[in-house]
Amino acid sequence: MSRPPPPRDPARRAVVTGLGAVTPIGNDVATFWSNLTAGVSGVAPISAFDASDLEVRIAAEVKGFEPRDWMDFKQARRMSRFAQLAVAAARQAIDASGLQIGDHNRDDIAVVVNTGAGGLQEVAIGESTMMTKGPDRVSPFMVPMMSPSMAACQISIQNGIRGPVIASVAACAASVQAFVEAQRLIERGDADVVIAGGTESAIMSVSFAALANMGALSRRNQDPERASRPFDANRDGFVLGEAAGILVVEAAEHAEARGAPILAEIAGGALTGDAFHISAPDPSGYGATLAMQRAVRDAHLEMEQVQYVVAHGTSTKLNDATETKAIRSAFGSHADRLAVSSNKSMLGHTLGAAGAMSGLAAVLAIRDGVFPPTINYETADPACDLDYVPNVARKAAVEVALVNGFGFGGQNAVTVFQRYLG
Amino acid sequence: MGQIAAREPGVSDRRVVVTGLGIVSPVGIGVEASWDALVAGRSGIDRITLFDPSPFEVDVAGEVKGFDASAYMDAKDVRRHDRNTHFAVAATGEALRHAGLMGDNGRVTDEVDADRFGMVFGTGIGGIGILLEGQKTLDERGPRRVSPFMLPHMLPDSASGQVAIQYGIRGPNMAVVSACATGGHAVGEAMETIVRGQADIMLGAGTEAPLVPLAFAGFGQMRALGTPIDPDTGEYNPAMASRPFDMTRNGFVVSEGSAVLVLEEFQHALARGARPIAEVIGYGSSADAFDMAAPAERGEGNQRAMRAALTRAGIGPEGVDYINAHGTSTPLNDKYETHAIRDVFGEHADRLAVSSTKSMTGHAMGAAGAIEALVCAKVVSTGCIPPTINYRHPDPELTLDYVPNEARSTDARVALSNSMGLGGHNSTLILRRFED
Repeated sequence: MSRPPPPRDPARRAVVTGLGAVTPIGNDVATFWSNLTAGVSGVAPISAFDASDLEVRIAAEVKGFEPRDWMDFKQARRMSRFAQLAVAAARQAIDASGLQIGDHNRDDIAVVVNTGAGGLQEVAIGESTMMTKGPDRVSPFMVPMMSPSMAACQISIQNGIRGPVIASVAACAASVQAFVEAQRLIERGDADVVIAGGTESAIMSVSFAALANMGALSRRNQDPERASRPFDANRDGFVLGEAAGILVVEAAEHAEARGAPILAEIAGGALTGDAFHISAPDPSGYGATLAMQRAVRDAHLEMEQVQYVVAHGTSTKLNDATETKAIRSAFGSHADRLAVSSNKSMLGHTLGAAGAMSGLAAVLAIRDGVFPPTINYETADPACDLDYVPNVARKAAVEVALVNGFGFGGQNAVTVFQRYLG
Repeated sequence: MGQIAAREPGVSDRRVVVTGLGIVSPVGIGVEASWDALVAGRSGIDRITLFDPSPFEVDVAGEVKGFDASAYMDAKDVRRHDRNTHFAVAATGEALRHAGLMGDNGRVTDEVDADRFGMVFGTGIGGIGILLEGQKTLDERGPRRVSPFMLPHMLPDSASGQVAIQYGIRGPNMAVVSACATGGHAVGEAMETIVRGQADIMLGAGTEAPLVPLAFAGFGQMRALGTPIDPDTGEYNPAMASRPFDMTRNGFVVSEGSAVLVLEEFQHALARGARPIAEVIGYGSSADAFDMAAPAERGEGNQRAMRAALTRAGIGPEGVDYINAHGTSTPLNDKYETHAIRDVFGEHADRLAVSSTKSMTGHAMGAAGAIEALVCAKVVSTGCIPPTINYRHPDPELTLDYVPNEARSTDARVALSNSMGLGGHNSTLILRRFED
C-alpha cells in the first residue's frame, strides 16, 4: 500500500490561474465552455482530407483555426499542427493568467505539454516525398517538426520560457500526466509556474484506418453528432478528435503575490500501470481504481469529498463498463452520490489532449458550479449504472473534481482539482 | 525562488540508489559486453545493414548487432512490436535479473510490491518503423489492410506499456519524450518519483530504434550527420564517423539501443539485501528557449541544467570528477558544451575528465541519456573512465581533458551526465559512488 503523502507546504500548493483551449467546439475558452455546458457536439464528417475510401469518415476536428492569429506565418509553417494548436492555447492561457514573462522570471517557468503521438503528418509527408522525389527533397525541418516534444519546445521558444521543458507520452492518459508532473515541479520548487496541458492532431487517413481496424471507432457515419455516446447501451466506439488544452499552474505564493486570478487548485494526482494488455483495459479495473484512490489520498482528501468525476468515458464498450466498475470499487457506496460525465460525448476522443479537455472542464465546473453533461445518453446499460449527468448540464456547488485518463498499454493517470480557499 | 528550494518535508530522507543495469547497444548486448567494448575503445559504427543505404550520402549507423528479439519475447509479441520495444524488453530483463528482482516465472518477484514499482521509459520517436509500415500498407493495399496493432504499437509509450505488461510492473508508468535529452529526463524523473514517496523502485530508461531511411533523409537534409571518411587518409572508415571534440568533427552518427537503470529507495534496497551500484544524487532540467534545432550560445541552457543538478545534489563544482559529455560530434554541440563546462566549473574544469562515449556508440537519441547514465554508474563504481575515441586533432578552442583514445583508471567518485535535445531541452544527472 502507498505510504501517506508528505505534508504539503501551503505556499507551494499548485493553483490554476489561466486556461486556454483550441477544440472541436470552440477555439477559445468561453466558446468551449458555453458549448460544453449546452451539450453541443463537435463531431462532423472529416474535412481535413478525402476520407471517402475509409470505413470511418467522421471526426471531431478543430474548425476555422488560423495559425497566423497566434504566431507569425514563417514559424507556423515550421510547426506541425499539434504544435500550432498548443502554441495558440498556451497564448490564451498565459494572457488569461496575466503572467508577464521576462528576465526576472523566465528561468523559473516550466512547460509540460504532452501528446499521444506528435507530428505524424510530417512523417507521412516526409516518407512520401522521399519515395516520390528522393531523399534530398525531404524537408530539413521534418525531424524537429515530428518530434513529440516540439509542442512543449515551441511554447518555450515562442514565449521565452527557460525552466524545465518536459514532454511525455502516455497515449490517452498523456495530459492528465502533465498535471501530475506540473504539481510536482511546483511542489519541489523546480518552477514557480508551469504551462501544463496536452495537444493532439492525428486527423490523417492512417490513424482512421488503423483505429477502425482495431474496432475502436464508432461507425455511425450517417449520424456524426450522435456517434459518441459514452455509457449509453448502444455505444459502438469512440470518435477521433483533435485539440489542445493548456492550464497555467502556479505556486500559490507566486499567484497570490502577483494578484493573479485563482480558479482552482491541483490538489493531488497519481499514476499506475495495469500491466495487462497493450490496448485493452484490465477488465477488473484494478489499476484505475488504485490510481483514483491514490490521487485522492495524495490530495489529503477522503473519497467522500469528491462530487464530480470527469470520466475518461471514451464511448467504447469496454472502457465505459470498466471505468464504471473501477469508480464503484474506488468510491464504494459514495459512487451513487457522484456526478460522472464524459466530455468526449461532444469533443470526441482527442487522445493526448483528452486529459487537458477534462482538466479544463474540472476547473470550469468548480468555477461556475455546473456539471457539463454526457450527451447522446438515451438507453441505460446495466453495466454502466452511475449518474452520468445525461444530456443536460446541471447546477451544483463543486468543491472537488477528479479527472480520469486511461491510455493504451494500461497507463492510468488521475488528477484531483479542488476549489482554492486560500 | 526556483531551483534552490529544498526537498519537501517528510521525504528528504529518501535516497535513491542504482541496484540494477541493463543495456542493448551498438557496442554490445548486455552490460558486460558493452562496458568491455567501451573501455577497450571499440567503435560500434558500421555500414548500415538494416536497409539499403546506397541512396544516402551518409551510409553508416550504430546498429545493434546479432540481436534476436525472440530470445526475450514470445514470437507473437515480437511480430507485433516495434524494434524499440524489443530493445526495451531485453534491456529491462537484464536489469531486473541484475537487481535480483526477477521471479522464477519471468516476471517481477513477489518479494516486492509491484504497485510500488514503476518506470519512466523514454524515447525520442517511438515506433516509427511500425508507423511507416502502416502508411505503406495504406498506400499500396488500402485502409482495410492496415494492422489493428499498428496504432498501439507505434505510439512512443508502447515500450513502457509492454515492459510493464511483460514483467508485471504496476506502479507509476510514464514515457517521457524530449528528443535527445530524453534519457536524462527519464532517469531524473524516475529518481524524483522515488524521492517524493510515490514508488520504491523505478526504472529510469530510454529506448530508440530510428534506423529507417526517412531518418537518414531528414537528418541528412539538416546536414547533421558525420561522414565516414578518415580525415587523414580520405579513406572510407565507418568507425571514424563520430569524432567528438576533434577539430575535424562534422556531425553525429545515428544509432539505436536501450538502457535501463533500476533505481531504488536506499532503505528498500537494504531491506531486501540488494547491492547498490551507485547513488543518483542530482538532476537538473532546463530549456534554451532559443531555436528548434540549434543549441544556445555557450551552452547557456546546458549551464543552467548543470547548476540545477549541482544544487540538487548539494555539492559544488569541485565535487565532480568526471563528465560524460553529450558530445555528439557536431561542430556546435561540442563547442558550446565545452563553453558551458568551463563557465560552470571555472578552474576546476581543468581537473575534470570529460569523455564522449558517443564516439563509440553513436547517438542513440532518446536512449542516449540512459546509456550514458549507465556508463556513469559504471564509472563511479569501478573508477575506470572510457575514452573519447577518434580524437587526433585537438581543436584549439576546445581545451578540456577529453580522455583521448585510451581508457583511464582513476578514483572517480562523482560523475555528471549531460543530455541536450532538439527544441532546446537540457537534462543533467549526477551519480555518486555508493558509500553508506
